[in-house]
Amino acid sequence: MLLPPDTFRRLCLARDLLRQSGPAVPVREIARSAGFSHFYFIRQFDALFGMTPHQFRIAMRLDEARIRLAAGKHSVTDVCMDLGFSSLGSFSSLFARRIGVAPSAYRRRARVMVQVPGLPPPDLFPGCLNLMAMAFRNFGEAPGAAASIQS
Amino acid sequence: MRIKLTSIMVEDQDKALRFYTEVLGFRKKRDIPAGEYRWITVVSAEGPADVELALEPNANPAGKTFQQAMFSQKIPLAAFEVSDIAAEYERLKSAGVVFTREPLNAGPVTIAVFSDTCGNLIQLYQPASR
Repeated sequence: MLLPPDTFRRLCLARDLLRQSGPAVPVREIARSAGFSHFYFIRQFDALFGMTPHQFRIAMRLDEARIRLAAGKHSVTDVCMDLGFSSLGSFSSLFARRIGVAPSAYRRRARVMVQVPGLPPPDLFPGCLNLMAMAFRNFGEAPGAAASIQS
Repeated sequence: MRIKLTSIMVEDQDKALRFYTEVLGFRKKRDIPAGEYRWITVVSAEGPADVELALEPNANPAGKTFQQAMFSQKIPLAAFEVSDIAAEYERLKSAGVVFTREPLNAGPVTIAVFSDTCGNLIQLYQPASR
């Protein structure tokens, strides 16, 4: 599909609106604000961004949960309530499913890391290519990594 | 010093691996666990086999902010060369890929731009001499 420039612009605008609005604002309303019908909006958003508006919202809230838990200043319950999840159980199971560990374990792990105030711990928030070192270190390949890349 | 590796940030590594292999047609070269993420690279089926593209998670908030801003500004974050851009355009469109620019003759290259569904716009280009 070739997306017309105006549709692209409005879908990006809708993504900004989803980011800025709380979960209480219905997706239908975001669609209307960006000039789309509800179902057309969901389909086009999914085609462009690879997830539905609802999934985008959940992913954003989980991102925020990770940042807050990693900072270690907030309890799991506080993070759950502040981000508008309906129950601790549903938050914990969603977090565990997406991130791979329960929020309490994630928070514990972050607490034992050396942290620079105001910055997310690098092991939990890798920046780009430092994953390469982590991966090869885990596999004991670090000394020969360059050689194996060329093979 | 050689250029053998480049990378692109992706929202979800599993989904990205599927898109870059099953839709674009690249081949998986590496998939190694790295903390809560993975070190995943793909190579082109058309070669060279030792030039890798890493699908790195956009887990860092700074990276995500950059990625989303570039997308909204319609700025592609990677470019892949193709031999027949018209054919690729049709093939990818029929696979459900969303283009934001249809093939456009820009002199030395013809370019087209699509969304990789992982948070990036990707530019395809075909050099005029081919």
